[in-house]
Amino acid sequence: MTSQLTSAAIGILLAGAILYLVRRDHMHGSYALWWLAIAAAILVLGVFPPVIDWLGRVSGISYPPILPIIVGIGMILIRMLRTDIDRSRQERQLRRLAQKLAILEQELASVRRVAEPTASNDFGRNKSARVIPLPKSGDA
Amino acid sequence: MHASAASQRSILAVIPARNEAPTVADIVRRTLATGQCDVLVVDDASTDGTAELARKAGARVITAPFSLGAWGATQIGMRFAQRNRYHTVLTLDADGQHHPEELPKLLALLRRSGANVIIGTYAQRMSAARKVAGSYFRLLTRLHVQDFTSGLRAYDRRAVRALASREASLLDYQDMGVLMLLSKKGLVLQEAPTIMSPRRAGASRVFASWLLVARYMLHTTVLCFAQLGVRARIVVRPQTSPPADGLT
Repeated sequence: MTSQLTSAAIGILLAGAILYLVRRDHMHGSYALWWLAIAAAILVLGVFPPVIDWLGRVSGISYPPILPIIVGIGMILIRMLRTDIDRSRQERQLRRLAQKLAILEQELASVRRVAEPTASNDFGRNKSARVIPLPKSGDA
Repeated sequence: MHASAASQRSILAVIPARNEAPTVADIVRRTLATGQCDVLVVDDASTDGTAELARKAGARVITAPFSLGAWGATQIGMRFAQRNRYHTVLTLDADGQHHPEELPKLLALLRRSGANVIIGTYAQRMSAARKVAGSYFRLLTRLHVQDFTSGLRAYDRRAVRALASREASLLDYQDMGVLMLLSKKGLVLQEAPTIMSPRRAGASRVFASWLLVARYMLHTTVLCFAQLGVRARIVVRPQTSPPADGLT
């Protein structure tokens, strides 16, 4: 009976922690959904360990306790794969964003030079130089 | 300002530079002296005043907010070229090993040959490491390029469009990955023998040590496998005529 108490305590604690973090809005969209599902699974398996034995019998595994371990490792691998795919996507976006930023900065600088050639020198002294008008379409 | 006047022209030389203060100004001046192109130096977050020196020498300068690597910086040039409607992009290194005087030759060949990309190669600089890597990659990709790391290249509009794309943004060097992407798009590559100098300052980012070479080879092998299946469509027309001074 104590073993069931221990497993229930661990399950409730883990599920509670995940639920708390999801509720605190630390994870967005699909991540939250994924972790909520994990929390639910942990809660069910922790509070009702016989479910594991039943699953083992149904799937023909002679040593049922290995089942959650294998499924768990599989889930972790999938999760890590997803993480790396996400990271690659973000790396691509980050690089392109940085490139665009660099190009736009250069364009902004050259527009400013055209608009007000002396602005760079009296930036501190002349308050009006802080607001630099864009050239009108007929100019330049 | 030279910026607006120069944008009328249609050829852009892109010079990626990371801490190349000793050589960058000279390279910019010599590239401008060819009289055929605008010059854009992409400063890859240098800390030694490279950007200022390049600007003073007459180049337009774009500074990356943080280091994007050799290819990341070059791609800024590609995207800039596309945005500003340049129809040809030349690339060369800022460290002095590429001679800007060779650029007109590449341009002429690009126009004459009908190839989309001209790669300036220098057979004599091939070290043992480079040769091993070269034959290995030729075997892997059947891409018959002698000097696949050469950064002295001319790209036409189609090539620039391909290289400015999102697809090209996860590449790290201007080498096999770039060449494979281009051949995947059905573009024609051609090599042109050119003259190059040994590096005056700094060392190759790729071929610095055997450990780095091994890492690089592994990285590129993975890249080759990711691109497997496109190699049948590769068309490469090797330059057969020997250069004037007998280098081959």
